[in-house]
Amino acid sequence: MDFKLPSLSRREFLSKSTIGAGLVLGAPSILKAKASGSPGDDIRVGFIGCGKQQEVLFNAMVNIPGIRYVAACDIMKARVGRTFSAIKSRFNYNINRYLSAEEMLDKEDLDAVFVATPDFWHAPHTVMALEAGCHVYCEKMMSNTIEGARSIVAAMDRTGKLCQIGHQRRSNPRYQFVLNELIQNENVCGQIININGQWNRALSSSQDIVSKPSILPEANILREYGFNAGADHTLSLEELRHRFLNWRFYTELSGGPISDLGAHQIDIFNWFLGTQPKSVMASGGRSYFKDREHFDNVMCIFEYETALGSARAFYQVLTTTSSGGGYYETFMGTDGTIEMSEREAYTNIYKESGADSTKWDELVRRGLLKKESVGVAAGGSDAIASYESAPPDKYALPGGMSKQPHTPHVENFYGAIRGDTKLTCDARHALESEAPIYWVNPAANSHEIINFTEEHLHA
Amino acid sequence: MTSKENICSNDLGYTLGILLLRLWLGVRAFQTGIEKFAGSGKPVDSTVLVDGAPNTYGLTETTATKVYAMSNYNGVPAPLYDKFINEPLIPEFALNIYNVVLGPALIILGLTLFLGIATRFSLFLMGLIYTSLTFGLILIKQDAGIAWLGVHIIMIVMALALAKYNKFAIFKKW
Repeated sequence: MDFKLPSLSRREFLSKSTIGAGLVLGAPSILKAKASGSPGDDIRVGFIGCGKQQEVLFNAMVNIPGIRYVAACDIMKARVGRTFSAIKSRFNYNINRYLSAEEMLDKEDLDAVFVATPDFWHAPHTVMALEAGCHVYCEKMMSNTIEGARSIVAAMDRTGKLCQIGHQRRSNPRYQFVLNELIQNENVCGQIININGQWNRALSSSQDIVSKPSILPEANILREYGFNAGADHTLSLEELRHRFLNWRFYTELSGGPISDLGAHQIDIFNWFLGTQPKSVMASGGRSYFKDREHFDNVMCIFEYETALGSARAFYQVLTTTSSGGGYYETFMGTDGTIEMSEREAYTNIYKESGADSTKWDELVRRGLLKKESVGVAAGGSDAIASYESAPPDKYALPGGMSKQPHTPHVENFYGAIRGDTKLTCDARHALESEAPIYWVNPAANSHEIINFTEEHLHA
Repeated sequence: MTSKENICSNDLGYTLGILLLRLWLGVRAFQTGIEKFAGSGKPVDSTVLVDGAPNTYGLTETTATKVYAMSNYNGVPAPLYDKFINEPLIPEFALNIYNVVLGPALIILGLTLFLGIATRFSLFLMGLIYTSLTFGLILIKQDAGIAWLGVHIIMIVMALALAKYNKFAIFKKW
């Protein structure tokens, strides 16, 4: 006797079944229980937002097995088309294209969604996808407002779905190695008292983004999607399109450079120190891009209270110069300094002259460090001996990462969906780390130190 | 010791001298020409060992291998090419011809010197090549390189002066 079971998607099953409510919370364990290796085990993926960052994420995951790309949406038709073509040419199958995230989530049976929209849409799209039963990878910052970020944490808790935030350094093996082995296990820095971080970009990299008008969305669409938020007059089509392409310049649409660039690195300060800061003081200005709403240059200092004592972290994001060695986070301790960067070329480790050489030699012997060079005094007739410190010896990490920077973070997300691992940066932990960043611009605007309370930082 | 024995002894020294100069200048030119076909192969990743065991973080060490291929060929190294192309005294078409010819010329002259084929003519052509390289380095003010090429020219002149003692050669004419 032949039986033909009615076609029913997992989402339909979950929503129509009388026990659906119970199964929603159990969904992660169902996914974990799936046998691996079969085509049915593929994680069904959709994209909300198909701009530059989606391209970065897609390129980071093209070699990860077990993924079936199903659909993509963006309010700009050309971008969805580009994503469609990229997937078609790489995998030789078609995805479904949408101009609306709601429609995509309603019609498609997705396991996971990547949200790479402008910051002010992160929270609405992420909450929407979580409530549609999808696991979500949301780009950082979680939102342009701390309330938006909190709504993501609440939705993650409410739905029981996984929500990874795109602080990709959290999954980077080089960062994990430095934190776990060098800082925590071997204490190579000694007491970390100062941190210094920066992301400096040249003017040429900070210019307005432009595009061919014929492929950009019309005014009614841009208004519908809130690109006129905060405007004090009715915006022309040209103004709306400028906001669409350059949303990072507008206070109602993004957090500005301290959020776009600084969030990655200030997250590392908090992660490595294992605590949130106690206060922030900041200064910023529209020193060059005078018509932009956000500061073009921001400098800030966070104060921390760690188990070993107080520490200070200076951070600067400059969009008018590339000087100073690009982007890095430097942890300066009494015994050594670790200058970390997502770029291996910017990563250096230094041993203070007074630190225990036997210990560092042993770390080299064990393979935890590589010695690069012995410190050499600069010398010269302008050197005054009593002013000088003995130069530090230079070391390097024993290895690097042979993948694109975002790949381990995306792999971690997929691994967590399959139940093989835990997220390295779920929304709750991300918000604990991001929360202080939301207060940098207010501190710079008020010229006052903000002493953090539970009200400022809670998730 | 007779005067005849003295002459034979002196000849042997000159013979070995020209042989050494031929070998040195030949290897120098031949391998320099071959190196113009060198490039990086596909990088190989190996897992970093910590305490003698593979690290658990996935840290890898990348080793680049050196490979030789026609597609890697650069007669004039790219950084120098970029400088020469902006020199008004070096026409672009001449630079492009030179770029194509230099590597094979060094390989051929290295081989002819090494094997002793038309030694004097080969030495003269090699001297012309080093002179042309000197011209380029003068334009971009690379004094150390000019001095280094000057040493080569001195060695070539010494080899030419000793050419009549060139015994271990395949083709002695020219």
